[in-house]
Amino acid sequence: MTDLWSLFLLAAFVDNMPLTLFLGLCTFLALSRRPESAVGLGIAMTGVLGVTVPLNWLIYQGLLAPGAWAWAGMPEMDLSYLSLIAFIGVIAATVQLLEMLLDRFFPSIHAAFGVFLPLLTVQCAILAGSLFMVDRAYGFAESVVFGLGSGVGFAIAVGMLGAIRTRLAYADLPAGLRGLGIAFILTGVMSLGFGSFAQMAMSQ
Amino acid sequence: MVEPDWNPWRRLLALPNESRTKTIVVAFLVASICALLVSGATVLLRPIQTANRAAEEQTRVDALVRGIPGMTDLLTQSGGTLSTVVIDLENGHAASGVTVDSLDVVLADTSNWTTLGPGTDLAGLGQRPNFAQIFLLRGGDDISLVLLPVTGLGYGGRIDAILALRGDMNTIEGIAITSHSETPGIGGRIEEPSWQAGFPGVELRDETGDLRFAVARAQASGPYEVDGITGATRTGRGITNMLRFWLGPDGYGPLIRAIERGEF
Amino acid sequence: MATRVDFWATLTDPLIRQNPVTLQILGICSALAVTTSLATALTMSVSLTVVLTLSAVIISLIRRHIPESIRLIVQIIIVASLVIVIDQVLQAYFAEISRALSIYVSLITTNCLVLGRTEAYARHHAPFTAAVDALGNGLGYSLVLLVIGAVRELFGRGQLFGWQAFPVTDAGGWFTPLGLMLLAPSAFFLLGGLVWAIRSWRPEQVEAQEHLPPARTRPAE
Repeated sequence: MTDLWSLFLLAAFVDNMPLTLFLGLCTFLALSRRPESAVGLGIAMTGVLGVTVPLNWLIYQGLLAPGAWAWAGMPEMDLSYLSLIAFIGVIAATVQLLEMLLDRFFPSIHAAFGVFLPLLTVQCAILAGSLFMVDRAYGFAESVVFGLGSGVGFAIAVGMLGAIRTRLAYADLPAGLRGLGIAFILTGVMSLGFGSFAQMAMSQ
Repeated sequence: MVEPDWNPWRRLLALPNESRTKTIVVAFLVASICALLVSGATVLLRPIQTANRAAEEQTRVDALVRGIPGMTDLLTQSGGTLSTVVIDLENGHAASGVTVDSLDVVLADTSNWTTLGPGTDLAGLGQRPNFAQIFLLRGGDDISLVLLPVTGLGYGGRIDAILALRGDMNTIEGIAITSHSETPGIGGRIEEPSWQAGFPGVELRDETGDLRFAVARAQASGPYEVDGITGATRTGRGITNMLRFWLGPDGYGPLIRAIERGEF
Repeated sequence: MATRVDFWATLTDPLIRQNPVTLQILGICSALAVTTSLATALTMSVSLTVVLTLSAVIISLIRRHIPESIRLIVQIIIVASLVIVIDQVLQAYFAEISRALSIYVSLITTNCLVLGRTEAYARHHAPFTAAVDALGNGLGYSLVLLVIGAVRELFGRGQLFGWQAFPVTDAGGWFTPLGLMLLAPSAFFLLGGLVWAIRSWRPEQVEAQEHLPPARTRPAE
């Protein structure tokens, strides 16, 4: 298993969710028109990913994995096919809970990105974080690092795109490329750049 | 005068959507029906999935055997077929009390698995079964070929493969990848015959006995390496670690030493 | 509703005029990841269209009785259950392709397209209409996926559905595969190009400019 720092770098740069794995693109493109909304989205993603991936790890290991029910005398019980529904439920509940906590204790932060939080319930990237955690058989510490790393990577990517697209407001683009078209091409170029991180040496 | 509707179902549907009763009943109904649907589908389809996996595994073993150059000649010469045996990985001998048919049941018991610590878990498995089914080809008294099932963590998930070793237990005869979740076109090329053709003749250990096998980053340099796949460094490293684990002391190491000593 | 719904328009609008991917920006996530080959693109398109249509029909059937407070989670649970069933069917009968698609079939659950259409359309229309709309959107999505999948597989490997259309130089042919086509950036470039092409053909889809240049009131110096 690679060590935690390498895992963080891996999750943030090499396996960058929007740019390399095509995850979370709907909100990535929709909310990157302005740097303020982009940064807000990035922070919200990091928070939710950092909480839901470890939480789903606990639920998966405790209830759903093959052999998880051994303590109750049913070692052959394999409920892993229910992981999708369980993860979605946990994510929806976490987002709701986070929103209520922020509203109660940090109202200014809640006002700053309150509207993005409910949006994150149905974000492919958040569900993908938990699904990758199962696929790659991470431990608890690794789940935390992977969640935070993926969120930070997403935040960097969306922040960069937001900054670039603001500049483009004055550019004289061909009509057909305006808006969505140029956003795709920009994302492609950024993805090309992030692809160079694939050569980053990992510890062994 | 309107008579009260005695049908409870219609009474429920007539409730305003926001009433607490209706919310709870709707939630409960949706949850139960979905649970039934999902569990039903899984239970029905699971036997087909396992049967398909077993059939696929068998086809791969057959394909590997046929794909090894001179294999069919070897078989006709020695007049033998592949024999299979369940071995105990701890001591490298045939397992007593476990047969090919009872292997699945034995491995369903978690006490027949060994947990691997981070220092020994090269292939990212977490745990390793204590028994494994291997295939042997004998030419007379000597073993001319051994087929070893191996598994490890690749880039996108588990990689399952079967490694064919020559009778000297140090030279690879071939490899077949039975399952993987690597990126198609990149890491997924490990299933292509053109890449697998780099394996026959590759040696595992050098004169001092150190395991030197590796999948190279690019071109293979030396008798212990296999060409890498461009853009699939992590898949290649996964394969390297997988083979190093299973050919080492925690995998088939005891078995290999037992065969070398002629105890088979 | 007394107006007759135009079924043909509902079915064909999402193909070009209201394409979910290129105009409505829905469903992009899973779209690009599975387009490295036509086989995976086709499997994903079919899976998504099936889930979309079935969930639209189911949600449309119960639309009058979903309490507002649990609306979103009920829709998500129904979609998630359908996705799990489809995933199990794929694992049973198309095991290799299912492995290649890995988590992206499961991600249909949070696909903006599925939830977008159930929220916007299925909740307010009768089952048959909702089914037609879902089918149309599924076809529009499939069209984009198949086009990009075809280009990427053809130029990245010289193959279409695994059949070698352009003989590769490695095997003695004339075609040197474009490795970039198999990596992530190419999907973005292709989709951007596709959007450009569609909007040049149908200018009414072009987005409005955010800032108009100031009108010239003085001759330039």
